[in-house]
Amino acid sequence: MSALLEFQRTMRRAIAGPEVLRPEDVRDWLGDDTEAAWRLAVYRDTARSALGNALALSYPAVRRLVGADFFDGAAQEFIGAQLPESGCLNDYGAEFAGFLGTFVDRFAPSAPLRYLADVARLEWAVNQALHAPDRPGLDLSRLGALDAAAMAALRLIPHPSISLLALDFPADLIWRAVLDHDDAAMSAIDLRRAPVWLLVERTSQSVRVQRLEESAARFTQRLFAGEPLQAALEPEAAGAQQAVLAEHLSCGRIVDFHADPIHEDPCHE
Amino acid sequence: MLDPHPIEWQAGPIPAAAGIGLRFPHHERVTGTRPVVPWFEVHAENYFGGGSVRRILETVRRDYPLSLHGVGLSLGSAEGLDPAHLARLAALASALEPGLVSEHLSWSVVGGSYLADLLPLPLTEESLDVVCRHVEQAQQALGRTILIENPSTYLQLPHETIPEWEFLAALAARTGCGLLCDVNNIVVSAANHGWDALAYLAALPAGAVGEIHLAGHALRSLPNGRTLRIDDHGSRVSAEVWTLYEQALQRFGARPTLIEWDTDIPAFDVLCEQAAQAQCRLDGLPGASHVRAASHVRAASHVRAA
Repeated sequence: MSALLEFQRTMRRAIAGPEVLRPEDVRDWLGDDTEAAWRLAVYRDTARSALGNALALSYPAVRRLVGADFFDGAAQEFIGAQLPESGCLNDYGAEFAGFLGTFVDRFAPSAPLRYLADVARLEWAVNQALHAPDRPGLDLSRLGALDAAAMAALRLIPHPSISLLALDFPADLIWRAVLDHDDAAMSAIDLRRAPVWLLVERTSQSVRVQRLEESAARFTQRLFAGEPLQAALEPEAAGAQQAVLAEHLSCGRIVDFHADPIHEDPCHE
Repeated sequence: MLDPHPIEWQAGPIPAAAGIGLRFPHHERVTGTRPVVPWFEVHAENYFGGGSVRRILETVRRDYPLSLHGVGLSLGSAEGLDPAHLARLAALASALEPGLVSEHLSWSVVGGSYLADLLPLPLTEESLDVVCRHVEQAQQALGRTILIENPSTYLQLPHETIPEWEFLAALAARTGCGLLCDVNNIVVSAANHGWDALAYLAALPAGAVGEIHLAGHALRSLPNGRTLRIDDHGSRVSAEVWTLYEQALQRFGARPTLIEWDTDIPAFDVLCEQAAQAQCRLDGLPGASHVRAASHVRAASHVRAA
């Protein structure tokens, strides 16, 4: 292995490992120099602080709900388990919502925070809506130019800023109340399990979170998962579903399509 | 992919004047009031996405010369550059046509993980080969030369064979890249490692230096009582850094100079005041009146356009 790569792997352990490396841990590398180990720890502090800040920026409502100390504890454990895969920190933290659910179960199982993971999922969707790349809405004349075989195979590609969430708790109400510091609104929320479907998307100026009816949401879910339009449309609900589709198109939620009957990867380009 | 931009950029190259590092808390102030600032620099990665943040940067680019400063490319990674990251940087640069693009002599990615800091590179022949290869790859992808910034470091690594200033000079000579001389980083590293800051400046190839950075730093006490300087960009430029900046200007001549502030970001007026202090020093250089007059004309045209 190259000396440079070996060094970089050691630095990764120094930053992401569970404990600060002690002088005896790095003696082979840094020599008999206690001060060098302290200096090495500065990098651990800086990197972990930057990653903790990135998570705090993406999950502000979660942080307020659990308090800064609990959040920072969860964040530091998450950082040890999951480092960013991209040099762009806006991409970091997708898995934090799932991690948080298990963290709460371990450290605060009796706390009335069963809805926390749902709020975290919503916050990640908002983060994605904020930072997704720009894509123009579909030019509808392109659909008009398709023949019957192509229409039968038509699969739609949603805007990369869009998330469709199926949640167990009214995370949208909780999220708004927490970020608005609205204690009255918070105490008025019925926190019992009550499934909601949320569509999260970017608008020209900000991010919109809206509830969908279950039937519209299930149809949208099939469309956005790349199912052919013709298969997703159900004869008994076709009228309502066409109205849902028309709204998606007019809101610029569809950016492209596949019309090739051969199976393709429906992922975004 | 990104659309071709429909906007005509009014502002041209980066002037040899004192600009400001633009951060999110000041977006509204800058786009709303169009303050008289000769140029702005942003961290490229903060604008990799679309939406309103991207619209703000396009507005800034329309009104001011803009420099893109990358923090996540990891030019010193032994395992190679992340092609997706380089492609995103190249797409942003292609869309915005910034006056300058810069990155760091450091690394932050290993095993596919981003370590979120500008980490120190062992200065060896192996590292020099790696960084030269990656700078050439980046310059090819961007279709332009870039500036490479000297790092601030806390740890001198054993087995290093090349002094940092020689490493940078060799990098510039081999790749044709320019250098971004961060005067605060020289003060921080010189104090942390017992280097001679003036000798560092003297060893840099003046013709390659295309930009200067200024920032504040902090002090941290180690358990043995010694003090480490920490490059936190969280305070005013120190007297020591101002003095070395004056010496850098004497050595390099007038260069685009940037005030950076990233921790506990103050009111925009504080950054303007810091930039004004840098501008005073630029104006004090022999032959500076011509540069000053030109930057006033630019400023006046901003006001008229608004």
